[in-house]
Amino acid sequence: MITITNLVRTYQTGDNEVRALRNIDLAIATGEFAAIAGPSGSGKTTLLNLIGCIDEPDEGTIEINGSVVHAGKAKERALFRRENLGFVFQSFNLVPVLTAEENIALSLSLLDMPAAERRERLRAIIDEVGLTGMEDRRPARLSGGQQQRVAVARALVKDPKLVLADEPTANLDSETGAAILDLMHELNQSHKTTFVFSTHDPMVMDRADRLITLRDGRIVDDDLRRRAS
Amino acid sequence: MNARAGVALAWKNLFRHGRRTIITASALAFGLLVYIMADSMLRGIEVDTERNLILYETGAAQVLAEGYLEERDLRPLRYAIETPEEIESALEESGIKAVARTTFSGELIVFQDPFPEDGSVQVTGYGIDPSDDGDVYRLEETITKGRFLEPGEDGAVLGGWLAEDIGADVGYPITIVTRTRGGFFQTLELDVVGIADTPNPIINRYAVFVPIDTADFYLQMEGAVTEIAVAGKLRGVDRALTAQMEQELASFPGVDVVGWDRLAMDYVAIAQTKNSGSSTILFFVFVIAAVGVSNTVLMSILERRREIGMMRAMGLYDGEIRRLLLLEAAGIGVIGAGIGIALGAVTNYFLVTNGIDYSFWLRDMDAGYRITGVLRGVWNGDTFASAFAAGVIITVITAMMPVRRALRTTIVESLRTD
Ligand SMILES: Nc1ncnc2c1ncn2[C@@H]1O[C@H](COP(=O)(O)OP(=O)(O)O)[C@@H](O)[C@H]1O
Ligand SMILES: [Mg+2]
Repeated sequence: MITITNLVRTYQTGDNEVRALRNIDLAIATGEFAAIAGPSGSGKTTLLNLIGCIDEPDEGTIEINGSVVHAGKAKERALFRRENLGFVFQSFNLVPVLTAEENIALSLSLLDMPAAERRERLRAIIDEVGLTGMEDRRPARLSGGQQQRVAVARALVKDPKLVLADEPTANLDSETGAAILDLMHELNQSHKTTFVFSTHDPMVMDRADRLITLRDGRIVDDDLRRRAS
Repeated sequence: MNARAGVALAWKNLFRHGRRTIITASALAFGLLVYIMADSMLRGIEVDTERNLILYETGAAQVLAEGYLEERDLRPLRYAIETPEEIESALEESGIKAVARTTFSGELIVFQDPFPEDGSVQVTGYGIDPSDDGDVYRLEETITKGRFLEPGEDGAVLGGWLAEDIGADVGYPITIVTRTRGGFFQTLELDVVGIADTPNPIINRYAVFVPIDTADFYLQMEGAVTEIAVAGKLRGVDRALTAQMEQELASFPGVDVVGWDRLAMDYVAIAQTKNSGSSTILFFVFVIAAVGVSNTVLMSILERRREIGMMRAMGLYDGEIRRLLLLEAAGIGVIGAGIGIALGAVTNYFLVTNGIDYSFWLRDMDAGYRITGVLRGVWNGDTFASAFAAGVIITVITAMMPVRRALRTTIVESLRTD
């Protein structure tokens, strides 16, 4: 699914050079539920941004399903993202003026799809993430956990090949965070969607099938503890 | 993003901070209101001025002797029309109303008793034909004291402000010192028979009207007149009329046909400076409105940094984000422009029906405009249409800068959490 070769990302801040990722080699198979762990500043976000095609590497390549997307033009990358990727963010990033259902529908509005299918998909995903009855609420009237459920549904509703989640539980209490992780794992199983998420929370790491640990921009550990079936 | 979802989202974002949207739209609306009011009043002044020029001073057009316009300030009687009756009848045969006048300048001299004090003042004399002057001019209808002139009498009608300035009343004797056509000093001894309060300030302040045959006698014109004025439309220069006159008068050598605009160059010049002056005012009004709009759009964009980053990560093209944000700005423009032209329409209704009484103010200034009394606005559909369009366009254009700024930010930077 994902093949990363010799990936380097360096930030230039004034005279300083921050080597956020140093020669990363990594392969992630279809259907994996993989966590990227590591202390703050170790390069997790940078890696996820690069896999998500919203940032460009200084060296190396990332192949997703056989294509090197970051080599393309901005518009091609955008098109690739809308068709293949789903994002979940630490701060939920819902549109406050839209209801839960409208927020989820936003990602479908980018795809050509008959209205009936659109409705069916919305109903199904709302049911799956456990938001039935709350479709018409705006984010302000939802708890943090519920908001992140909306965000997960928004990422999943278009049936992407890959979902990327940067610290999806960092803004949630541990119980709610665990529930979100369980939800993501269920969806990973039922939709056969590949999940890559970052965290520095041991509880979240425990729930991952694979734990990739970064330190100072290098992979220091890659633990295939529970292979996804 | 499909169009319906885009419009729905822009619409909802528009009312995200309803009060801010309304305040910004109101700033724009105020700008448009000023524009509509100013335009209405300035057009009102123009309409009034042209009307008062044509009806009291110049007619719609005049037939003049060649050379007259160039020389009129120095030797007003030198280039005169020698055969006015023939020209008049040639014009009248083709349905154009024409009257002859002789314009001259002189010094009006008055003495204490019955006047309050001795004095002299520069005036413009008009020899007019009391029997048919009304075919072109409205002087007779503006007599507020005494009566209109009778042919052949040694009588004068004075402009209202002139009469007031020198303390004249009906029956008072006046003296005008001028030069004959041959250049000799001549004195006209006249009695004031009437006072005319015209809506044309130049006439009101400087004019002394005498019967044309009286003028002819004293000025030794021997049947010649300085101009033949014709009636025509009261707004704009009547090119069709002047063209027709030129055709009718092709067989008369040595005469020119000129529109009123060439006879009132002072006003035309003023009208042009006014136009550039008022566009400067409008420019500043719009700049202020535009600053408000761009500030509001910038604030929204900064507030929504992460949301915009999320949408771009999700796969919206930059063009789609731009359209979304500009559509929202256009919404502010439509609301502001809508409020602006609605307020403009209400205000203009009062400007048109009631007007503003300017008389006290204009009396003391020599502005070149020929208006006195009440100034009324004018309805002009184009002004409302262009105000609306300008409001929306300005809003969208000013929104472009902050939108470009939002799109120059990288997606990663937009999504940063701290
Ligand atoms: N835009 C940036 N400019 C400069 N340095 C950056 C930038 N983004 C990240 N870094 C640096 O790169 C390193 C990795 O950052 P990041 O990928 O955000 O780590 P993590 O997500 O694991 O906390 C850190 O040292 C961070 O300071
Ligand atoms: Mg991070």
